[in-house]
Amino acid sequence: MADRDCGNEAAAYALGALEPAEAEAFKRHMETCAVCRDEVAAFALVVDALPLAAPQHQAPRALRRRVLAAARAQPPPHAASTRPRRAWPLLAGAPRPALAALVVALAALALVGGIELGAGGTHRQVIRASVGDAELTVDGSHGQLIVEKLPAPAPGRIYELWLQHGSSAPAPSTLFSVSSHGTADVGVPGDLHGVSHILVTDEPAGGSATPTGKPLIVAALG
Amino acid sequence: MHLSTRLIRPPDLGLLADEDLMARVYEGDQRAFAVVFDRHAGVAFSLAYRMCGRRALAEEVVQEAFLSLWRSGARYERARGSVRSWVLAVVHHRAIDVLRHESARAGRDIHDEELGASLPADERTELEVERRSDARLVRGALDELPAEQRQVIELAYFGGFSHSEIAELLAIPAGTVKGRMRLGMSKLRMALGDGADVLL
Repeated sequence: MADRDCGNEAAAYALGALEPAEAEAFKRHMETCAVCRDEVAAFALVVDALPLAAPQHQAPRALRRRVLAAARAQPPPHAASTRPRRAWPLLAGAPRPALAALVVALAALALVGGIELGAGGTHRQVIRASVGDAELTVDGSHGQLIVEKLPAPAPGRIYELWLQHGSSAPAPSTLFSVSSHGTADVGVPGDLHGVSHILVTDEPAGGSATPTGKPLIVAALG
Repeated sequence: MHLSTRLIRPPDLGLLADEDLMARVYEGDQRAFAVVFDRHAGVAFSLAYRMCGRRALAEEVVQEAFLSLWRSGARYERARGSVRSWVLAVVHHRAIDVLRHESARAGRDIHDEELGASLPADERTELEVERRSDARLVRGALDELPAEQRQVIELAYFGGFSHSEIAELLAIPAGTVKGRMRLGMSKLRMALGDGADVLL
């Protein structure tokens, strides 16, 4: 995309108006084009404000009653997580081949990566992700993922973090976006006991039940 | 024996930031969820209504978005720091799904006889006053754009149309559509300035 007028793509991308294949190509282009990343981040703020351009209404009271009644009937499945301290060896970032190949490759990468032992038994390692930079800190069984230089997800898209236990299918964990500077500080909810890999993919807003794209970040634990 | 009781007042959830409320939502706190709903349901419903053009569809989209937030509170991440952005992104995405599933393409038009005719925002609360004020600012910035730039932005964002679909609708080259989008978005960015993220 180096020769094309990428500036025109940035606004269309931020508005969600590129065709899916174009959006994918532009996302790849942004990995190496800081100008477009900045442009998209700036346009994303405008897109976030656009809902206010719609005529403003009050949500109907009946809708409120229905939503709160449904919430009462369906308590969320999570309970407060305990955080027993346990040391974990760390992770690695990965390029973008198929998931199975990534998992195998990263098991090897994890062996190569050095582990930095911080205060209180915290293990930390800075890794190179396929897009941007990533650092995972594991304190006991709690994980914190910090990413930098990650392009903002396209409108209607969001980053989703997954926990994988061995060879089982990755389970959805948490959703996150990035700041206008491409950074995010993501607490990994719950307990990491038994988790072999932490993955990050780009998914439709609201998240997916199973990954629909190739992982951008893969962290191999243990 | 004299027994005394002490009333422990629950915290005023209305004073908590969204991110703190979401920590409670994660634990299943329905009162916190109600506060989050009250804060953001208005703009979420307005967006859904604008996009779907039908009240029933808009309510369905908003209900789905908030219940998704409730069920997967753990999956909301404060990294972006804006619950509203999260909710609105889900509403926008689902509204586009609804539009694309509607058999009649006319359903994606942004006009509807119901729009603006009912459900005016209640300005009695400070929150509503602020929302109306922010809305005037954004609407004003959009209205300042040349019509052809405003049109492509509205068709893309509120109509869910791709640039190629817009090009076909307006019978103009796709490159022209993208160029107008860029010009319009750049002007909006300048008009809203640093205020764009304050509106979040």
